[in-house]
Amino acid sequence: MTEKNEAFFEIQNLTVEYHSGNAIIHAVNDVSLSLSQGETLGLVGETGAGKTTIARAILRILPEHSVESVSGKVMFEGKDILEMNARDLHDLRGRDISMIFQDPMTALNPVKTVISQIAEGYKLHHGCPQAEANERAIKMLEMVGIGANRAYEYPHQFSGGMKQRVVIALALACSPKLLLADEPTTALDVTIQAQVLDLIKDLRDELGTAMILITHDLGVVADICDKVAVIYAGRIIESGTKEDVFDHPAHPYTQGLFAALPDLEKEVERLSPIEGLPPDPSVIRKGCDFMERCPHRCDRCTSFDNNMVELSTGHFSRCYRTGNEEA
Amino acid sequence: MAALLEVRNLKKYFKSPGGTVHAVDDVSFEIEEGKTVGLVGESGCGKSTLGRTLIHLNESTEGTIVYKGKDVTHLNKKEMVAFRREVQMIFQDPFSSLDPRQTVSDIIKEPMLLSKSMSKAKVEERTEELMDTVGVEKRLRMSYPHELDGGRRQRVGIARALALNPKFIVCDEPVSALDVSIQAQILNLLMDLQEQMGLTYLFITHDMSVVKHISNQICVMYLGQMVEKCDRNELFAHPTHPYTRALLSAIPTTDIHAKKERILLKGEIKSPIDPGEECRFCSRCIYAKEECKKAQSLTEISPGHFVACCRAKELTDT
Amino acid sequence: MADHTHNKKGGGHHHRGHGKKGKRHHIDPGIKPGSAKYIWASISHNKGAIFGMVFLTAMIVLSLLSPVICRYNYAATDFEMMKSWPSIKHLFGTDDLGRDILSRVLYGARYTLIIGILSTLLSAVLGILLGACAGYFGGVIDAALMRFLDIFQAFPSLVLAMAFCAVFGTGIDKCIYALGITGIPGFARLMRANILRIRNTEYIEAATTINCPTWKIILQHIIPNAVSPVIVEIAMGISRNGLASSSLSFLGLGVQEPRPEWGAMLASTRNYIRDYPYMVIIPGIFIVFTVLSFNLLGDAFRDALDPNFRD
Repeated sequence: MTEKNEAFFEIQNLTVEYHSGNAIIHAVNDVSLSLSQGETLGLVGETGAGKTTIARAILRILPEHSVESVSGKVMFEGKDILEMNARDLHDLRGRDISMIFQDPMTALNPVKTVISQIAEGYKLHHGCPQAEANERAIKMLEMVGIGANRAYEYPHQFSGGMKQRVVIALALACSPKLLLADEPTTALDVTIQAQVLDLIKDLRDELGTAMILITHDLGVVADICDKVAVIYAGRIIESGTKEDVFDHPAHPYTQGLFAALPDLEKEVERLSPIEGLPPDPSVIRKGCDFMERCPHRCDRCTSFDNNMVELSTGHFSRCYRTGNEEA
Repeated sequence: MAALLEVRNLKKYFKSPGGTVHAVDDVSFEIEEGKTVGLVGESGCGKSTLGRTLIHLNESTEGTIVYKGKDVTHLNKKEMVAFRREVQMIFQDPFSSLDPRQTVSDIIKEPMLLSKSMSKAKVEERTEELMDTVGVEKRLRMSYPHELDGGRRQRVGIARALALNPKFIVCDEPVSALDVSIQAQILNLLMDLQEQMGLTYLFITHDMSVVKHISNQICVMYLGQMVEKCDRNELFAHPTHPYTRALLSAIPTTDIHAKKERILLKGEIKSPIDPGEECRFCSRCIYAKEECKKAQSLTEISPGHFVACCRAKELTDT
Repeated sequence: MADHTHNKKGGGHHHRGHGKKGKRHHIDPGIKPGSAKYIWASISHNKGAIFGMVFLTAMIVLSLLSPVICRYNYAATDFEMMKSWPSIKHLFGTDDLGRDILSRVLYGARYTLIIGILSTLLSAVLGILLGACAGYFGGVIDAALMRFLDIFQAFPSLVLAMAFCAVFGTGIDKCIYALGITGIPGFARLMRANILRIRNTEYIEAATTINCPTWKIILQHIIPNAVSPVIVEIAMGISRNGLASSSLSFLGLGVQEPRPEWGAMLASTRNYIRDYPYMVIIPGIFIVFTVLSFNLLGDAFRDALDPNFRD
């Protein structure tokens, strides 16, 4: 590992398998990624690609009864989260790393006021008096645009967008170094989504928080991220800076995703969908995962070794064609 | 050309413990045969209620619905049966719009068996034909909905809607529960079907880029009212109502180099319970003035372009 | 930037999936969920359900055959063999009157089973009807029925059953009525909630749009989707009522001596629990296993009947 590779957060060869009946679901296959302080990574993929599993593995909140195995390393400031004991893990969650869930309705406790929910976590991690924790909670609420006059209300008194703001305040109360945001705006309307994304951006810049944003929406990634990793069938198939991936998408799947989106600027007769369906995650395949749906497939794909190909510094694609025939 | 469907001053109110919910409030529009009208708006704006009222899943409170020149606002049982052969619906959630205890072929056959207009053999034949049309493999005939992915389920829902050769289909967010790559498949299918069968769609969605892709005409709804209505290209070239502008500017685009000025709306949508006379958008509107505190009505600002905003004329110049 | 040229780890993976779909537990993917064959396949692959079925079948057969296969009559007292610990002669020992506990336990199974099953069916039939009416018609009918059932639910069911027995007398039939009536609100609420849930789904709307008449919607779409939780509840109800019948008998309100109802057996021997614990433990074990068997069967039914369960 070189000096530069000592990112403060790094996932190395993370593999997660679930069991379902007597089949093994290969949810995450050999995923590696890294993040520097203050950086935002967009993790893009479709339903079932393994995005949420990665986030849950990072915080070790995978559903225990169905996990078959977790291997690899999740390094946070030099320590492997997967090897941590309960005590360290407790300190880590919520204080160093916190998570925003997709559904703000279920992420808040309906029988506690929002201020007490935010103050609780802060008190727990800082061991400070209640008054100080409350003060912090009010400051956080004000930061996300909720006045102190609403601090003593219950979650059901807030609308969807406001609830998501509360969730964000809750996640940022302990000034975490890393924020995992799992589809934070998917449940919201576009105008509210715009407000919330702006808020997340502002707070991230103000607090210098690094962030992993999980989403299926390329538009959201374009808006907020520095780096992008595209995930397909549990594997990262393309990664690089936002400019790399958006201006020069290299992997046929990434290209397909862009082509399938109706574009406001362009007029097309028909969209170009990616034909077929994602592969069955319970089957280990030989060769490229995307092969069956790929418009460029050829014989060599069946023997593809699934290694990343580096196109330019930091821009990787898991397709043997990239770097050869691609510009 | 005469409109296939015409809606005049349609209102749908619901009673709730807090007062009267104005889900659809005085909405008028028409749809020409073979065309698609897109109905856009955010959650709670009444677009789904409007769609459901059109096909009589709700009974309207006031107003008239004219289909093929005939008033269909109130129908008796017999008329309803005939009406629903021509007017069908595709639902939003492919996970809940199919009965979990019916097989794919049972679901597609049901409308035909209920209509009693075909022999058993004909029904079988037509079922296979429909599965072919919507692109569901025949080997899945005996599968249950939960065994299919979202895209296939939605195809089955489309096949059910097509079974009786309808003329007009209300599509209620048919792609919003689907992944991008699958969404494109279903949108293409809907457009192909329209071309082949001359279908007319009312396409309800919250997604501006989808509505732009599929519609000829677009209606924008806000809190039960129509705030802007015009040709698709006109709407995107000259969005006029402040809400339409905000909606368009809020769409996250995949063009990372576009420098877009985003209009951030203040606050959130008001409650639809007894909303009062004033412009329903004015509390969030950046252009709001004293004069906005009164009822707004759709006015034609250029041929075919209707806006419900008293400052529309001024805004078109900005 | 991290090293992204990672190799596929050698060895780590191997394919272990058996079923093509990988979703059904050991069940042939050719069998359609929802079919009787599927339900049977699912249940017969469930170890708990097999235990429950084997135990309950054994209890029923042994109970019916007990007059033939048991060496002693369940009511025959033998004053020379009072309070004798389990031995070859009396496998489960004898009670304070010298009656053979094995014969009594086996014969007595019929009371628990009959009371449990009949009382649950009584509450299920009435509860489903009331709940379906309340859920489907809504409004005033719903409110009236539900408030009426609230009155029943205001009392703990055992207390209500005790009151019923105290007023109408003791005996097997009274015990069935008492437990049956107290179980109605549970079934009615379950059915009502199911119907309300299903009534608002899009597939019921879809059925309306394809001109499906109301009676067909109820019969073909609502009821098939509403009954499976009820079937599960019936299995659970039998175990609950079997236990309650033992409780009533234990309190002297249910089946009367000398009939060897398990609860009554517990009651009559409870004074000997210190010196002769087997007298209490043996009927207790049978109560526990019977309740457990029905619960396991109920769970297995839940898995087998719900096609969405494993998604």
